[in-house]
Amino acid sequence: MFKKILIANRGEIAVRIIRTCREMEIETVAVYSEADSAAAHVLEADEAVLLGGSESSESYLNMERIIEAAKQTGSEAIHPGYGFLAENPEFAALCEKNGISFVGPPARVIRHLGDKVLARKTMKEAGVPIIPGMLTGTTDLKVLAQEADKTGYPVLVKAVAGGGGKGMRVVRDPGSLEQACIEARSEAEKAFGNGALYLERCLERPHHVEFQILSDHHGHVVHLFERECSIQRRHQKIIEETPSPSLTPSLREAMGKAAISAARASGYVNAGTVEFMLDRKGGFYFLEVNTRLQVEHPITEMTTGIDLVRKQLEIAAGHPLSLEQEDIIPRGHAIECRIYAEDPEAGFFPSPGPVLLLREPSGPGIRNDCGIYRGFEVPVEYDPILSKLIVAADDREAARRRMIRALETYVILGIKTTIPFLIDLLNSEAFIAGHTDTGFIERYFSNWTQRAEDVHIACAAYLADELELTSTTARSQKAPAGWPTPWQSLGEWRL
Amino acid sequence: MKYRLDIAGQTVEMEAHGTGKGEAYHVTIGNQVYHIRYLALEGGCYHLFVNGRAAEAFVARTEHGKQVFVKGKCFLLRDAHRPLLRRGKRPGLQDGPGEVTPPMPAVVVRILVQEGDLVEKGQGLVVVTAMKMETTLVAPRGGKVKKINAAVNDKVAPGDILVEIEEEEKEEEGVEENG
Repeated sequence: MFKKILIANRGEIAVRIIRTCREMEIETVAVYSEADSAAAHVLEADEAVLLGGSESSESYLNMERIIEAAKQTGSEAIHPGYGFLAENPEFAALCEKNGISFVGPPARVIRHLGDKVLARKTMKEAGVPIIPGMLTGTTDLKVLAQEADKTGYPVLVKAVAGGGGKGMRVVRDPGSLEQACIEARSEAEKAFGNGALYLERCLERPHHVEFQILSDHHGHVVHLFERECSIQRRHQKIIEETPSPSLTPSLREAMGKAAISAARASGYVNAGTVEFMLDRKGGFYFLEVNTRLQVEHPITEMTTGIDLVRKQLEIAAGHPLSLEQEDIIPRGHAIECRIYAEDPEAGFFPSPGPVLLLREPSGPGIRNDCGIYRGFEVPVEYDPILSKLIVAADDREAARRRMIRALETYVILGIKTTIPFLIDLLNSEAFIAGHTDTGFIERYFSNWTQRAEDVHIACAAYLADELELTSTTARSQKAPAGWPTPWQSLGEWRL
Repeated sequence: MKYRLDIAGQTVEMEAHGTGKGEAYHVTIGNQVYHIRYLALEGGCYHLFVNGRAAEAFVARTEHGKQVFVKGKCFLLRDAHRPLLRRGKRPGLQDGPGEVTPPMPAVVVRILVQEGDLVEKGQGLVVVTAMKMETTLVAPRGGKVKKINAAVNDKVAPGDILVEIEEEEKEEEGVEENG
C-alpha cells in the first residue's frame, strides 16, 4: 500500500479522502490555492502545498504544478476527487508518465468513455441498451436536421464531449432545431474545445438511476447497487437516495448486469458509476459512465458498509478486489442532501461569504461530510457545495424523517444555504410518494419561498440577543469562552 | 421596550415587559402575548421557553440585521426603524428603484447595455458569475440607462449599484433627446 498520497482537490471531498487515508495509515498531502490557505482540507492534511492563484486554472487545474507538488513531497499516488481533473485523460496520462499512480481508471479508459458517442457505440456492441439516436458526432446542421427527423421530436441535442448539462438542449419542434444546435455548438466549443454534437430521443420525465461499480486490475468487476439521483436543479443533483423507489427487484438485477457489462466493455478499472435513464414504462438506457468517485458515493457506503475510497486506493495499489457479488448485501435506506451555499429563494444564486455560526447535526445514522467550519470564508471562486448530509435508517420513511430532523438542527449562519428548501422538499407529498423524476423541482418547487412559521420564536430570539448585547456591553465585554456554567449564564445573583 | 422588526416580508411590532437576563418577561408580538424565558448558551445559541415550550434558536449579527435560525428555517430580522442598507428586494420581482445590484458577491462577466440605451423591464443588463454559475441581472423596470458603474472583471457586492436606470417620460418615448 502507498505510504503517502496527494489529494488534488479541495473542500468536503478532500477532507473525506484524508479521513480514510488516516485510517489506512497513509500520509496525506493537500494542495490549495491562495483563496484556500485556511480551508478545511488544508487544516486536515499532514502536509499542504500552495499551488498558485485563486483561479482554478492556476491552482486546482494546474496539472504541471500538481505533479511537481507530488514529486516534491514524495507522494506515490494522486487522488483527484470529483470535478477539477478527475475525468481529465491528459492528467491521468501525465501521472502515468511520471510514475505516480492515478487513483482512477487509466487515461485510455477515461478518453474512451469521455467521448459520449464512442461510449454509446461500445455499449451498443456489448448489448447494453442505449437511448435511440446518433452514433457519430457532427457539427453539420444539415446532418443534424436529417437525423432529428429520423429520431423524432422532442429530441435532445448533446455535446460529444459533454458533461454537466453544457452544450445540451431540448428541442420540441423542427423550427427551433437550428438555433438550438448553434447555441449548443458554441457552448460546447467554449467548454470542451470540441463543438461536435449528436442527437438522442428525449425521454419524458425520466428517472436518473446510476449503478456503482468496482473493478480491479485483474478483470474482476462487481456492482454495489443503485442510487436514485433524479431530483436536480440546473442538471445538478441535490438529493440522492438508495435503493431507488422506482426499481423492482427484477429491473434492479437486469440493470446491475448491464452495469457490469458496461464496465467490462470499456475495460474499466477502479471505482466508477454507470448512469442510466429509466423511462416510465420501466425501460432503461445507458447514459454515460462517470469515471470517478461520485459526489453521492456516501449513500452506497451507508447501505453496503463498504468504504469506497479505501477500495479505490487498494485497487490503485494493484491489490485484487476481495469482494464477490454475493458478498454485497445492501441494508436499509440512505438519503443524501447536498448543502449548497445558495439562495433557494433567488433562483439558487450562489451565496459566498463568512460562516458566522456552524452547528453540525448528530445522532444515530447521521453522517456529515463537511468542508467548512465556523469562521471560514466561503470563497466566490469555486463550486458552492459546503457539505453533504447523509442519513441511513431501516426504511425510506424512517430515513426521510431522520433527514428532516438532522436538517432542522443543522445551523449554518452568515451565508444562505439550501437547508430550508431541502426540508420542505422532503416534507412534500410528491417526495413521500417517490415521484422523483428529473422534472421534480420545476414541477413542484419553482418560485419556492420559505414558510413563515416560527416567526414569533425568531422574534423572541432577536429580543434575547438584544438583551444579551446590552447586558454584555454593560458588563465590560469579554464573553466567557467555552460552554458556559450556570455561574456565568444565570447572570447576577445573591445568596 | 418596543421594537418594529422586518421579517419574512412582514413588519412585526414587538413589546417586551420586564428586563434582565434569565428573568421571565411578557412579550407582545403582533397581537399575541407570549411568556418568554431564555438561557444564553455559547455565542449565538439561545435556549428559549415560549409559553413554557422549549425552542432553540441561533442568532448571528450581520450588517443587514440579525440572522436567526429556528428549526431549519433561516430568517433575517431587521430593525424597521433603521434605513435600508441598499440591499433592497430581489431585482425583477416588482417595479423597484431603478438601481441594479447583485444579490451576492460576484464578478462581472459581460455588460449587455450601454449608457443611454432604452431598456424594458426584465431585459438583461449585466452578467455576473459567482461560484462557477453565471447569472443575468435584469432591469427592475423600463427606462433609460443613466449610468453604468461596473466594468468586466470587477468584483462586486450587494449594495454596489452596477446600473442606474431613470424613468423615461411617457410623452418622450421614441423621441431622441440628444439627436
